[in-house]
Amino acid sequence: MHHANHFYGHAHVLARYCGFGDRHPPRINGYVQHGWNIGDGLAPGHPYVERTPSLLWSAQTRRRAWAVGRRNVVVVGAPFIYLLALRPQDPPLAKAMPTAREGTIWYPFHGWEGQHVKGDHKELIARIRDTEPGPVTVCLYWHEYGMRRVRRLYEKAGFRVICHGYRGHWWRDTDPLFLDKQLTELRRHQRVASNRLTSAIFYGIAAGCEPAVYGDPMVLADEDPTFGGTARIRRQWPELHGESVRLSTAVEIARAELGTDHRCAPAELRELLGWAHLQENDLDD
Amino acid sequence: MTTDTDQAQQIMLPGGEMLAWSDLPAEEPTDGGPLGVLGARVVPAGARVLLAGPHAPGFLDRLAHAEVTCLLRSHLDGVALAEHAAELPVRVIVGGPAGLPADETYDVVIAMSGLDSVESIEGARLGWDGVLAVLADRLRPGGTLLLRMDNPVGLHRIVDVSPWYAARDDNRWTVEGVLDAGHPANLDQLRRRLVDAGLTPGAFFAAYPHPKAITALVATEELDQGTSSGLLDAMLHNACADGYADRSVLQDPARLAVDALHAGLASGLAPAWVGYARRSPLPAVEPADLPVALVQTGPLDMGGIEVVTAGQDWHWRLTQPPLRTTPETGPAYRDPGALTGPIPAGRLLRTLLLDACLRQDLDQLRALLSGYAHWLDSCTVAGQISGAPALAGVDNVVVDGERFAVLDPSWQAAVPLPVNVALARGLRRFAAILLTGGYAHPWSSTLDLAGLTVVLGGMAGRNLDRATVRVAVETEAALIAARTDLNPAGQEELRDQLEALEPDSPPPGQRSYQQLHEAWLRQREELNRIQAVLRWTEDLITSRERALRRADAMIKVLSGSVSFRLGRLVITPARWARRAVRALKRRLRKAPNQRAVRGGQQ
Repeated sequence: MHHANHFYGHAHVLARYCGFGDRHPPRINGYVQHGWNIGDGLAPGHPYVERTPSLLWSAQTRRRAWAVGRRNVVVVGAPFIYLLALRPQDPPLAKAMPTAREGTIWYPFHGWEGQHVKGDHKELIARIRDTEPGPVTVCLYWHEYGMRRVRRLYEKAGFRVICHGYRGHWWRDTDPLFLDKQLTELRRHQRVASNRLTSAIFYGIAAGCEPAVYGDPMVLADEDPTFGGTARIRRQWPELHGESVRLSTAVEIARAELGTDHRCAPAELRELLGWAHLQENDLDD
Repeated sequence: MTTDTDQAQQIMLPGGEMLAWSDLPAEEPTDGGPLGVLGARVVPAGARVLLAGPHAPGFLDRLAHAEVTCLLRSHLDGVALAEHAAELPVRVIVGGPAGLPADETYDVVIAMSGLDSVESIEGARLGWDGVLAVLADRLRPGGTLLLRMDNPVGLHRIVDVSPWYAARDDNRWTVEGVLDAGHPANLDQLRRRLVDAGLTPGAFFAAYPHPKAITALVATEELDQGTSSGLLDAMLHNACADGYADRSVLQDPARLAVDALHAGLASGLAPAWVGYARRSPLPAVEPADLPVALVQTGPLDMGGIEVVTAGQDWHWRLTQPPLRTTPETGPAYRDPGALTGPIPAGRLLRTLLLDACLRQDLDQLRALLSGYAHWLDSCTVAGQISGAPALAGVDNVVVDGERFAVLDPSWQAAVPLPVNVALARGLRRFAAILLTGGYAHPWSSTLDLAGLTVVLGGMAGRNLDRATVRVAVETEAALIAARTDLNPAGQEELRDQLEALEPDSPPPGQRSYQQLHEAWLRQREELNRIQAVLRWTEDLITSRERALRRADAMIKVLSGSVSFRLGRLVITPARWARRAVRALKRRLRKAPNQRAVRGGQQ
């Protein structure tokens, strides 16, 4: 299986949805799109094997992928919508936690091991303070969370600072509950915000949050300009940018981008992932 | 002109007969199918009829209510016809059109083999217009001409693997084609020639699937207007699929016919036309309405099927009571009696699904498939579905908005089917069309037929499994066996063939070069994909082996260290102790079981 299929525990969520429980997910015959994408659904630079199925989130991404020469491109929806199907309602929260949604969960745009983000976090913090009406939880990506300097900046601002876990790399250390933790946090908050339109914003909308995208989008080192970058994102989805966004429009767009209507039935998904012929011996604990 | 009479056969020989020639096919004689039905329809009782050119002997049986004169060029055919019609008021003239008695006129002239075959190779040629003039001249005022003309650019020629201009058959002593200005070459030209001959053209029918084997006649006006009609879609598709089965063709004639229908070209591309015209002055009373369509499906003794207009709707009607009904043995039977009443309007589900697949419209696919599954559910009793809906695949269901309905209800399930099996059967049949037909679709080439069936089931909102698909294949084999009278061994072979169908196989049945080429392309693409995966896997194994070697080296380094050895000294007794505890637990677990076994034996 392509190692990117393990990112964020995607393969684990799909395996649970397909009825394999918490066992290690079987090998997927294809690439699962691992994040919201304005390109062909695959991460730039990822090795691609010709005609290996691309399991994409939305019909729009499928069209883009086809147009750049990808074949066997199939729309299955985002793994997050499978998680929503597995957890349509969460059990009541612990007593220590608030029972109603409150405040904002804020996702500063993140880099990763190979690409660092350059930007002024202090300026961003000031903007968040000026904008957000309630308590703020800042969710840093593992990479930034591990940078004490960055984390302290947000903590000193009085924000609650969390991390959903490690997305994993080369099959190692994937947090299989990454998405679960993210969903739990999203459901605790009234708003979801970021300085870039990213997967987290769409997840937040799908989880019932009001979205907002504002602030310096920062710069990703050696950012691939092939599909237009942040400028194009702002051109194509202007209605999702701003401190306040019309919710019904956001919900509609998120539905399309996450492929909510394209969620497969378990047997259907097993066929598309190449899991239809698995024997007991093929499954690891 | 000298006219002899063959005394033995009561055949008139006015000259120009072809002695060593036959126009009638060597196969089993037919009743003329829809052509015969239409011919009988326009002939009033007691009418004087000229049957010009070769017609199947059974055609005469349909004209028993009239006084018929047959004009044939082949002496052999004349003898056969005279023998066949010995008990009927039939006269046979063998020769060219010039051999018709000079003073005879007719109420109806029928030339269902076209005008070229009315002329003999003997004597001077009259040409198409000349023969038409002779026949038109023999019509009484108000009389009817029913004439077939083959389309020189018809569907049959477009799909033919041999070009029309290279004809080598014995009957092509001259090759008539579109270049011959003496022949009309389209419907408009045909109408004009009829007018020029002093006739008033009326309804025209498009004849499918092949001029030599017409099984469907559809009014051209209806074809031109009903471009998205599910009935006409199914009618043309079925006629072409059956008519070209096991034949070599350039491209799928059924696909071409349905495409032509949707483009409003089904009349223009029809392999042949049947024109209805009358000689002026016309009588005040118009003859009975002609049908919308006439179809022959299944064996001859099942009777023909008519589509007629009743008010705003089309209705089924049988042309004659069936001579037999299929015995109600096996999983399915045909009940022609079910073909009565209104025909549901709407578009054919197969066409809607193919369109949605081609446009990658997943929302539409989901709506159609779930609608189909819901409709099947609505026909069930305790999870079982029976009657016509049980067998109604996507090729026999029409959709009108939210409403789904069986188009042709004559095929009935003799025993109820589990609704999931009925759904899986319908979906698998569609999956086979989609994959073997080479249609673009929204899924990956890694899916086999059963896999795509499961995926389609998911789109329909049903969590089908492969076991259900296997039952559906067995059901399909049993149903086809019942339709085609296969024995058990044949049914088993058929089931194996169905199961062996691969996504990169060409469609079973006809050999279409275009589809064979597409199947070859799919195989090549799949081979490329597998080779690329193999290369990737090799690279990955190499990379993982390197990682393992590095890990192994690291383990060796660490296992030689002082800290590791000290740690092992500490841990080893603990591991021994853990093993001993486990062994003790196992013994304790076994002991009560053994006591219970001994207790049971006492």
